[in-house]
Amino acid sequence: MERSLPYRPVSEHVARTPWWRRAAAWADLHGRREGWLAFILMRLTGIGLVFYLFLHLTVLSTLARGPQAWDAFIALARSPLFVAFDGVLIFGMLYHGLNGLRVILLGLGVGSRRQAELFWGAFVLSIVLTAVAVRMILMMG
Amino acid sequence: MWIWQALSGILLTVLLVVHMVANHFVVEGGLRTYADVIHYLSNPVIFLLETVFLMVVTAHALMGVRAIILDLGISPAADRRLKAALFALGTLIVVYAVWLTGSAVLRA
Amino acid sequence: MRTLNLCILRGGPGRPAAYQTYRITVDEHLNILDAVQKVWATQDPTLLFRHACHHASCGLCGVRVNGRERLMCLTPIAEFPDGATVTLEPLRNFPWVGDLVVDVKPLMERMAAIQAPYVRRDELTAGGEEGTRFEDCIECGLCMSACPVVGSDSAYLGPSPLAMIKRLLEEPRGRDIRSLCLLAGDAHGAWRCHSVMECVEVCPSHVDPSQAIGWLRRYLILRGRRQPAEAQRR
Ligand code: SF4
Repeated sequence: MERSLPYRPVSEHVARTPWWRRAAAWADLHGRREGWLAFILMRLTGIGLVFYLFLHLTVLSTLARGPQAWDAFIALARSPLFVAFDGVLIFGMLYHGLNGLRVILLGLGVGSRRQAELFWGAFVLSIVLTAVAVRMILMMG
Repeated sequence: MWIWQALSGILLTVLLVVHMVANHFVVEGGLRTYADVIHYLSNPVIFLLETVFLMVVTAHALMGVRAIILDLGISPAADRRLKAALFALGTLIVVYAVWLTGSAVLRA
Repeated sequence: MRTLNLCILRGGPGRPAAYQTYRITVDEHLNILDAVQKVWATQDPTLLFRHACHHASCGLCGVRVNGRERLMCLTPIAEFPDGATVTLEPLRNFPWVGDLVVDVKPLMERMAAIQAPYVRRDELTAGGEEGTRFEDCIECGLCMSACPVVGSDSAYLGPSPLAMIKRLLEEPRGRDIRSLCLLAGDAHGAWRCHSVMECVEVCPSHVDPSQAIGWLRRYLILRGRRQPAEAQRR
């Protein structure tokens, strides 16, 4: 059965604006509160994690090049700079995951009046768990 | 779309914990040496689990990329092309990674 | 009495945009709208702004006060200390007409497309029940200005039209449910929302568009499994 679409209005002034100007406006922090902060962090961590996925697969390709290449990478992974990178990465994963649960609740209409508290909960919990994880990495040496 | 992103996200939180625990805590001190990693991956159950994890991660990541591009309001035709391109990219990623780890395990 | 520096964004299409500051002394029991009116009456009759009811029911005086979407009639002077500078700018995501005025056509077109009543029929024809609705939404557009997705996807319905669709589905009164579901159910409808939540925070009328969008999603998921005829009867 062919369905005829109902009329959908389009904002012409938005359509005329170049795409990069519209994308840049997501970062417009003028007069924003927690909800926007949660959104922009979600977007940034999401983009970062996509890049990390590619990086991770590149690193795995050393597996194909045999034990020497792999062990050289592991030695690199123990450097302080790398542990700092791990910290950022772990925070990104935790925040994206915990705020993801918040977005699922809010997206189904649950808890919108508590959204700011939920954001701070997810944010603080991510920082605490990141600190725990980095401590564990350092102790494992 | 949103619903798939939500479902794969929930699945990922579980799979990511499994992935992290299995890689870093099951063997004392975590998987470090080449031999450790190969031994770990040569368990078929683990290999399957890691493959499923990789597929869900890839799908979630590329659906996220599409969501961001859709926020810029592209035409239905452009969306169809985008979907095809992202699907091809996702397939490529999964096939490449499975080939990579699979051949390393087989060689060992 | 309280003295404020109102820093207002002036200009518009074909005119240069620039902030202009007016020093104004007003009673602290009044609202920002009264201060802007006093500027217009005593200092600068060329200042463009919209207002009508002064009590948050017409939805005309929405601007950004220090960046945040507010109704000027609901922004107390008492909120600001004596001598403070208050920045007033037009709403985002709407075409700029000039000074504090934007063209609300994008919102009104969406409301019309979803068959929301924009003429109250019972005010025109006695005894008509069809047009009588008691909605919270005053169609001020604050949520449309606060939502980042409205500014980037030209076809996105936006918070208040989606909230209105929810109301119409709850109480269809003969409206075409299928086309409402088609509008709400595709990528530019309820599924485009990223729960940025700023619409909920700026709404002066407790509409909670986010919760309405969540309701719509649940409705669309459940409706997909129901017989179309049964959904039509709702
Ligand atoms: S939902 Fe609230 S903020 Fe949006 S137009 Fe209606 S009254 Fe204004």
